[in-house]
Order: sequence, then C-alpha cells, then structure tokens
Amino acid sequence: MKLNPLTIKKLRRFKSIKRGYYSFILILIMILASFFAEVLVNKRAMLVHYNGNYYFPTYGDMIPGTVFGLDYRYETNYRLLAKQFETEGNGNWVVMPLIPYDAYENDLKEGQFPPFPPSIEEKHYFGTDTIGRDIAARLVYGFRIAIFFSLLLLGFNYAVGVSIGCAMGFWGGKFDLIFQRIIEIWSNIPFLYVIIIISSIVVPNFFMLIVIMAFFGWIGITWTMRTITYKEKAREYALAAKALGATDFRIIFKHIIPNTIAIIVTFAPFAVSGGIVALTSLDYLGFGLPPPTPSWGELLQQGWANLDAWWIGGSVILAMIITLTAVTFIGEAIREAFDPKMHTTYE
Amino acid sequence: MTERQKRRRLGPALIIALMSLLPAVSTISCSDSPTEATGTTEASAASEDQIFKADISKEGPPGDLKWLTNNSDPLYASPEAKKGGTFKVAIKSFPLTFRTVGPDSNTTFRSAILGNQLSLIGLHPNTMNILPELATHWAYGKDKKTMYFKLNPLARWSDGKPVTAHDFAYTLEFMRSKKIVAPWYNDYYTKEIDKVIVYDDHTLAVASTKAQPDLHLITGIGPIPRHFFGQLGEDFVRKYNWKVVPNTGPYQISDFKKGKYVKFKRKRDWWARDLHYFKNRFNVNNVIYTVVRDDNLEWEYFKKNRADVFGMTLPKYWHVKSNTPIIKNGYVNRIWFYNDTRRSPFGLWLNQDKEIFKDINVRYAFAHAMNIQRVIEKVLRNDYFRLEHGFVGYGPYSNNTIKARRFDLAKVDHYMKKAGWKRGDDGIWDKNGRRFSVEVLYGSDHHTPKLVVLKEEAKKAGVELRLQKLDPSTWYKKISESNQEAVWMGFSTGLRPSYWQSWHSDNAHKPRTNNVTNTDDPELDSLIEAYRNSLEAQERIELSQKIQKIIHDIGAFVPTSTAPYVRQAYWRWWRLPEIPGTKESTSLFSPFSAGTGGLFWYDQQLHEETKRMMKKKKKLPPVTIIDETYKMKQ
Repeated sequence: MKLNPLTIKKLRRFKSIKRGYYSFILILIMILASFFAEVLVNKRAMLVHYNGNYYFPTYGDMIPGTVFGLDYRYETNYRLLAKQFETEGNGNWVVMPLIPYDAYENDLKEGQFPPFPPSIEEKHYFGTDTIGRDIAARLVYGFRIAIFFSLLLLGFNYAVGVSIGCAMGFWGGKFDLIFQRIIEIWSNIPFLYVIIIISSIVVPNFFMLIVIMAFFGWIGITWTMRTITYKEKAREYALAAKALGATDFRIIFKHIIPNTIAIIVTFAPFAVSGGIVALTSLDYLGFGLPPPTPSWGELLQQGWANLDAWWIGGSVILAMIITLTAVTFIGEAIREAFDPKMHTTYE
Repeated sequence: MTERQKRRRLGPALIIALMSLLPAVSTISCSDSPTEATGTTEASAASEDQIFKADISKEGPPGDLKWLTNNSDPLYASPEAKKGGTFKVAIKSFPLTFRTVGPDSNTTFRSAILGNQLSLIGLHPNTMNILPELATHWAYGKDKKTMYFKLNPLARWSDGKPVTAHDFAYTLEFMRSKKIVAPWYNDYYTKEIDKVIVYDDHTLAVASTKAQPDLHLITGIGPIPRHFFGQLGEDFVRKYNWKVVPNTGPYQISDFKKGKYVKFKRKRDWWARDLHYFKNRFNVNNVIYTVVRDDNLEWEYFKKNRADVFGMTLPKYWHVKSNTPIIKNGYVNRIWFYNDTRRSPFGLWLNQDKEIFKDINVRYAFAHAMNIQRVIEKVLRNDYFRLEHGFVGYGPYSNNTIKARRFDLAKVDHYMKKAGWKRGDDGIWDKNGRRFSVEVLYGSDHHTPKLVVLKEEAKKAGVELRLQKLDPSTWYKKISESNQEAVWMGFSTGLRPSYWQSWHSDNAHKPRTNNVTNTDDPELDSLIEAYRNSLEAQERIELSQKIQKIIHDIGAFVPTSTAPYVRQAYWRWWRLPEIPGTKESTSLFSPFSAGTGGLFWYDQQLHEETKRMMKKKKKLPPVTIIDETYKMKQ
C-alpha cells in the first residue's frame, strides 16, 4: 500500500512520541488479548488429554462430566479434573488457562465467606468479589465489554455527527441555521437523566445502551466539523472538484472529510476514554448493563461498599488508571503528530 | 428502631403493599398526636358548636350480652424496669407529614405516631388473645357482626379531654370524608365497617358490614379527637401537615425540626400507666428520632453513641462490621432474638400463563433446580432458614407438614424427561427448539448476590436464569400486566392467611391483581371460598391446611429463605426483660406500640460505669445474647 508521504510523516512523528506509542501498543495488545479472553481467562480448560483423546473445551458445546468419567452430567469442573488427573497419574492431563476462572462462577469455600483476598496459590490474582467471583476475570471481560462499547459508540457518534456537521458546513444557509437550533435544543437535554429514566423503564442490553448514548453523543463533533467544513469548502481543491462537476456527496466524502481526518482522529481517543467512563459510571449507579454482566462500574460499587476488602476497589481503580491514562497518552500523541505546525511553514 | 427494622427486612424485600384487611387493627388506629409543646394549640381547638356529636341510640345494648375482659394473660414487661433516660434512634428520612392519612402519609415514621394511638382493644403478642386498651370490656353480638365495648372512664386525650364513645363515631365520619384525600381509608371504613352506635359516653358498639370469623380484628377501631378536628375543611391536607394531634398513648411529640429530628416526650401522668398490661413499659423519658440518610453513616453515628441501637440482621454487620473496638471491649452488647411471627412469602413466583410453566412437571423441575440451600450457606452465612412454604408462622393455620422442594438433579431429570424435554448441546433442557431459559425479574441490588449463585447452580440442572433487575415502578408495572415469566419477590402478611387475592381464579389472567402466578384451579377456588365464608375457627384452620397443600402441589411458588429473628447492637446501659421480646417483636427497642413496644429501660448506674471504663480505656467482657425462647422448630 502506498501511503501519502504526509501520512508517513505523521506516523513517524507519532512513533517518535514514545509515551503515546507504547501506550498504543499496550492498548492494542489488551484489545487483541481480550478478543481471545476465553482462552486466557476461563473455567474451561484449554486442552484436555483423556484416555488418548484430546479435547478443546474452550469454544463449542459444554462437555458434561460423564465424558471424563465423572459422576455428574453438568459441565465439567476442569480445575478439579486437573487435580484428579494429577493424583491418578494415568497419563491424563489438563492445561488450564492463565486465570482458571470465568467471570460468572462463584468460587465459594467451606467455612469462609467472600470476598477472598488475592492468592497466587489459588490463582485469584486480584482476589474475589463479594460473591466469590474472580476479580481478574471480571476485569478482563469487563474491559472487553467497555472497550468495544466505547469503540462502537465512537463509530455511531462519528458517523452521525460527522455527516451532519459536514452537511451543515457545506450547505450552510437555512439548513445550517435550522440544524444549529435543533442541536442547541438537543444539547440542553440533560443526557444522564434521560439515560437513567430510559434504563429504568427498559433494561438496556449492550446495543440498546449504545443507541441510547449515541442518541445524545453525536452532538459534540458536529460543531467542529461544521467549522472545518466551512473552511475547507472555500479552498481551491473543493472549488476545483465542484468545477469538474462532482456531486455534493462526492465532494464531502471524497475531498473534504479526508482533509479533515486529522481533526477527527485527534478527538477519537478522548471520546473512547469518555465512553469507558460513561459506561462505568452508569454501571456504578446501577443503570448500565444488567447483572451479572462483568463490569468495572459494578466492581467499583462493590469496592466502595466494602472498603475493608481493599483489593476490590484497588484492582478496578488500577485497571481504570492504566487504561484511561494509556488512551489519553495516545490521544496526546496523535494530536501532536497531526499538528500542522510541524510540517507547514507559515510566512 | 421500627423504621430501621422495617427497611432492613421488608424494604429491600420489595413487599407489595397488599393492604390486606386483616392487620387493620394496627393500621386503623389512625389518629394523631398532641399539642401542648408545639404551640399549635390555636389552630387545634374547634369551637364548641362545630364539635361532632353522634346521635345517642334510643335502645340500650342488648341485655343478654356476655361482657368479657382479660387480666389473666402472662405479662411480658420486666418488674425491674425503671423510668428515665433519653433514647436516640436514627431514621432514614424526615417524614413528609405528621398526618397519618392522606397524601404522603404512608411513611415508616407513621408507625411512631400510630404507636402512640391506642385502639379499643389490642392483641397479646404471645397468646394472640384480646387485651383491653381504651375499652375495659367487650362483648360479641349474636349476629356475629356487632361488637360492644365499655370504655375506660379514665381514658384521656393528651390535651386532658376525656375519650368518649363519640370519638369513635367520629372515626367513621372522619375516615369516610373525601376531604382527607385517602381513598383507601374511605373505602375500608365504608365497605368493612357499617356503623358505630353510641349508647352513652362510655358504651358503644361497632358493627361490621358482614359476619366475620375474627370479628375483633375489624371492630377494634381507634378514636379520633373530634374536638381537635371539628368540621373538616377542603384545606385538611395542608392544614394538618405539621400539626401534632392529641393522642391516647404514652408519648407525644414535644419538639421537632424539619429535616433534622423529632422528639417524643413521655407523658408523666399518662392515664394508662398503671393498666395491667402497660405496667413497667414505656420507660424512657425522651425518644429522639434523628435523620441519618445513609447506612454507613448511621453505623458511624452509632459507634459514636449518637444513636443507641443499630440493626444487625444483615450478615455483613453481624459477622464483619461487628469486629470493632466498642463491641470487642464490651461497651456495646449484641442480641440475636428469634421471634415467631408470620413470614413474608418470599421466593420465585412462576407465571402459569406463560407457555413454559403451563406444564406442572416443568414447574416441579424448576423448583428442584433452585439451590436455595447453597445460597443460604454461602451467601447468607447459614443465618437464614429455608422457607418451607408460603404461609409460615400463622400458628394452627400453617400446614407445617409441607416441605419445600429441595435442589435435586435426579428429580429435575425425572420431571423434565416426563415432560418430554431433552438436554441441549449447551447443557440446557430443550424441547422442539425451545430452551429452558427463564427471565427472572427482581427489584433491588440487594438480591443480586443470591440470584447470581442460584443462576450458576441452576446451570448444573440445565436451567438458564436470565436476571433482570428493574426499578420498582417498572417492575410493578410489568408484574401488574402479568407479563413476566418468573418474579423474585415477597408479599406482606396479615394476621390470618389470605388466599383469595393471590390464589383465587377471580384474580387470575387479569392485570393488577396479586395472583402473580395466574393460578386458576376450580378445586382450590371452592376451598378458598369456603374458607372465606366460614365463621368457625376450627373449620377455617382445616380448610387453611388443605389449601396450603394444594398450593404446594401446584408448585408455582418456590419459597426461598427467611430470617426468623432480629439482631441488634445496643449500648450496654440499655436493659431488656429476661425474655427480651415477644413472639411478634421485629425490634427489641421499639419505643412505642401498645402490643410489643417499650419493654426496654435505661440503667443510669451502668451508663456511668461504662463511661468511666471508656475513659480509662478498660475492657469489659463482650456480650452477645442469643435468645431462642420463641425459635420455631424446624
């Protein structure tokens, strides 16, 4: 692929800002790893070798205990199976994931009550929450939900916001005037209250929550897009395209938007962290995704209610700090890399 | 304390207010409170000619009445009790009004006002026999609709005016008035109570509209001070928001600051202080309710002794937060008191109008797939007990041979196969592409831990639960539209089991009824009707037992757990009788209430000793009392 030399320059510049670059790699790894969370964090084993056969329980149907010669028909408890194979020494073995718990199961013990503090021996690296669920597992699955939530939200918001903003800037006149007023009214709706009201009437699922949030989230970018479009529209390349007979649609999407991409991209990481924070706070308040969905907000709530179980609040706050700081660093680096002052000379 | 207790146990339990008619004795005594200290007297006195006066009946009461009284039931107050002290309690929010009827009056604080309002008669909390309150004697009429009462001539309102039969006639006048803006009371006092007949100042009769099996529960109404209200005006609701209405009980509001506190003062010359069942009770001089809006904050207040008692029924407080110096050093005692009262039917209610629960085998399998025992052991720390059926604690009316269906994978298999279901690839039962996946509605975060454990355990049995937490109003709407598959909730209880509202087909397949399971069973219907129409206690008991068996066999209600006790922490200078409470006590430190309240007292000597010890940082042996006098046999 041939990249525009300007773009290459920007990328190089981005790479040279170490803080942002490494944060970018970190977030990328986290997102990629969360794609395969089932392999890394799961109560199902990665691989079971039993009587000469190999089983890969991670994806696919539930394997009942009877398959491995156990006396129950519900899903195999692989952690116990691993121990059993070890003591039997029949050459059967189990490979468990790094964190051998999933985000939903309650690991409860005799005579003790959760929350249990972190324990390397039991592989509860961050301890358990108040109902005995592994915090590390909930953090990982919670991260996956939060990051995809905010990326999708970003997509929705920008799709709507950028199109409307561009249209306003490009056509101007009455269209612009009317939409400005609509947006002013729209942005005066207290969006958090509306979400709280809506989610108390219908329990929102993942996509509904995105749609509800996007309903209010698209406004921010329109103002910026409108202004830049006004500026870009007046430039020669836009006039040239028009003179060549290009349609408005083509001018906006083929010429103007690519030239404003720098601005759009600059805002994106901040919108991502905003999305994560929004979902977390809704979950914290109990208006987000329904339990028992793993969620950072819910963990935060538990941490607050159980301050003596420091590991609950501690681990989720740590996770939030790392993620949000990384995203912010990326944002800063992008802004700097895309800053026109670096490669334009003004007279 | 009552407030807190209620919130703790009932509030989160999403009790739908059934307004069942039976507990009306306590609910009804709605009146008011005093005037003296608040300077509201000007507005209170109605002019002479406005005071209500009932027509005096020309005929006297029937001559062959058998007048009854009761001075022989066991006393439950301690003879050691002394008067004195100030008792501080925290409440969650300031009441929106001091009225006990009309808009915004149905708050938890109302029980403090009504607790100081006596009725004609009361019930002994241990024996359930009738006790005298404002009436000294009572008699049943032959028609089984009318009850006759002789008032205690000593009875006085807090402003010194005598309580007369006209005040009871005025109760009807008042409660039926549209001006009080209380449709429920309007309705109740019209549909349930026919009339009050005044024979003279101290003799009256109260007639129910129909013959009643437990007539005294309906007719034992409370008086309303006619001299205080006079002619009701359109401005009733606003005018009486913050008026302290004269009352007949041991305390009266003496001072309050909106949003901050309400202070009750003991009446030194209370007319009933030497009555048989009121001796040695209501000992504290002052009771102060202070507003503390948050649980954690209240706990801190308690630790600083800005409150004298703290509810510890939740395992978190009893087991974890108790590990604090004031308790370890013995300055604060803890008590675990088992009571023996009616248990809220709490559990999973299955909607039989939904395709999946039409099959009785599936309902049974569902019940056997619920691992309630594990929830009790692992989440509730074994502090709760399995609720065996929906009508526990009604004495002879409860059929205690019924045992709830236990978690049993073999039985789930058996019933599901009988119903023609197969296990799907994901381990969940499946029939023609329909999975055994049930949406469970619930209304408070408080329940999430229990449900999450149930959900995980149910998977083993091949049942999927989809948990849906809704906020109370949406939740209520969804239930009342009968749109749910299963709902996790409880109902409030009445003195006698009431089957019609939840189990009779009259209320099935209709929105806004309490028959959430949509049970529609002709045999059950006829038994319920017989139960409702019967006037013979023994016959009702037998019918009640049969009905409960049938309800169990229908299997649409999966009972969960119950905490048959109250746990509280209190500063050690508060003393309790040897048997610290009654069968009915839901708090050992409820300062009012004619039935169960006011048993504790203040021990000044202990207070001073404790203060000295705390100053010197000396330790005392920690005290935890476990009282099992009234523990129900499992």
